[in-house]
Amino acid sequence: MSKKSADAIVIGGGIIGAATGYYLAKRGLKVFILERKFPCAGSTGRCIGGIRAQFTHDLTIRVMLKSIKMFQELHEELGTDVEWYAGGYLFLAFDEARKKSFEQAIEIQRRYGLKVDFISADDCGRIVPGLNREGLLGGAWCPTDGQANPFKVTYGYLEGVKRLNGQVFVNADVKKINLSGTRVVSVETANGDEFFSPIVLNAAGPWASEIGKLAGIEIPVKPDRHEALVTEAIERCLEPMLVDYRADGCYFVQHYGTGHFIGCYTPVPIVPGDSVDASDEFITEMPRRMVRLLPKLASVKVLRHWAGSYEMSPDGNPICGKTPVEGFYVSAGMSGHGFMFGPALGELMAELITTGESSIDLSEFRLDREWSKAEAMK
Amino acid sequence: MSSKKRSGFRVVCRCEEVTEDEVRAVIRNGYHSLEEIKRILRTGMGHCGGRGCLKVIARLIEEETGIPIALQKFPSSRPPLKPIPLGQLGSYRNEQEER
Ligand SMILES: Cc1cc2nc3c(=O)[nH]c(=O)nc-3n(C[C@H](O)[C@H](O)[C@H](O)COP(=O)(O)OP(=O)(O)OC[C@H]3O[C@@H](n4cnc5c(N)ncnc54)[C@H](O)[C@@H]3O)c2cc1C
Repeated sequence: MSKKSADAIVIGGGIIGAATGYYLAKRGLKVFILERKFPCAGSTGRCIGGIRAQFTHDLTIRVMLKSIKMFQELHEELGTDVEWYAGGYLFLAFDEARKKSFEQAIEIQRRYGLKVDFISADDCGRIVPGLNREGLLGGAWCPTDGQANPFKVTYGYLEGVKRLNGQVFVNADVKKINLSGTRVVSVETANGDEFFSPIVLNAAGPWASEIGKLAGIEIPVKPDRHEALVTEAIERCLEPMLVDYRADGCYFVQHYGTGHFIGCYTPVPIVPGDSVDASDEFITEMPRRMVRLLPKLASVKVLRHWAGSYEMSPDGNPICGKTPVEGFYVSAGMSGHGFMFGPALGELMAELITTGESSIDLSEFRLDREWSKAEAMK
Repeated sequence: MSSKKRSGFRVVCRCEEVTEDEVRAVIRNGYHSLEEIKRILRTGMGHCGGRGCLKVIARLIEEETGIPIALQKFPSSRPPLKPIPLGQLGSYRNEQEER
């Protein structure tokens, strides 16, 4: 049982905690990151590493344009190769309604200078050789979207925190948050350690609502289960992330760094809860969907299959900012896009926490907003 | 003496070609669990699913940190146990539907 103090405490060693902790440390704060298990034990270690600016919510697009710029330079910032690769994102449209919704999204995205087009089925076939074009009307194509390695990014940020005088505590399961009046004072872990700080950030991903309760605050984040699989590595033959939004669609990408294919789908209906049990349904259904889109993958072998959580907010947008408890902040509810948001939201939240405002105004993501502006390109 | 003979160059994870030196460096950098090392070096994420390397790495952790192997947590093994082609897994579903 020990007592230690820091300038800022971050609860959660996923991408959000690691990135925000890093940018806080860069601003001169002594940062402690408290992680219940080990870094990437939550959603971050289960995600497939896709990064895109093709969204429909203005603020999300702006945040992602910043994040992509940061991903491009992250190897220099962190001194480690994070396997960033701009292979693009291709969203496929198999019916008129989907085509129309992509065209509407493109109109919004172009306002922010995003290079994105609705391209023909033939052009989709040129970008993805071997693509099954049956019923395909075309696709929303953005070549500047891409991918990176979630482990490399997260551990890169954590190593950066350590270099900048901070500390990362593993097996540090936060059980109690102590207040003095309406101010946060300290955080206690299951093994009895107490960490004092005037600033505490809730970056507990799917478990953000549990951490909120410890400070008496309602944070409406609910996990639901998403499964994924990875195949053996083969020679490069797919550049972009392929997204098929049909009810029995899927999304997958070939890892630039290694040549593995990695992918997942959103189950219909969703499976609520933070279970990480992998299902028999997925391990047969996902291969069928992948091979339907790209028949040449039929002989590629599946190595592993796992499950993790999306951490949904009521409107599918992040929850970032202060809370009614002074000094207690939240950055969670990334709704399945936390990896790609990580760098930008990390830096913006560090600005907000240290100066009271951020260079991109995040108030639309504040905790006490109306939950109405739903993201259409989930 | 050929440098390859030095034990540090021994490959402990064949699937991902990770050497003993690399593993020891990560442990010395403060990562003391198989789960963390897996996420940093990909040991256990290759074809064999960790059957070849995890025990060796557990012993390196024990040597470097004194944490006995018996107290170390092994990563969960992920299905399928042997790599299976996408086409074969997918056609299982198609057959089910036709029935
Ligand atoms: C299958 C799948 C595919 C995905 N694909 C993508 C993608 O392509 N692109 C993308 O951007 N996003 C993707 N995501 C979503 C992304 O993984 C998450 O949005 C992101 O990882 C959230 O990061 P986080 O740091 O908020 O949460 P997490 O990574 O879950 O981190 C939270 C951490 O808090 C810790 N914690 C919890 N309770 C406590 C406590 N009491 N004390 C201390 N620590 C605690 C947990 O152990 C965990 O490590 C995917 C997710 C899944 C499941």
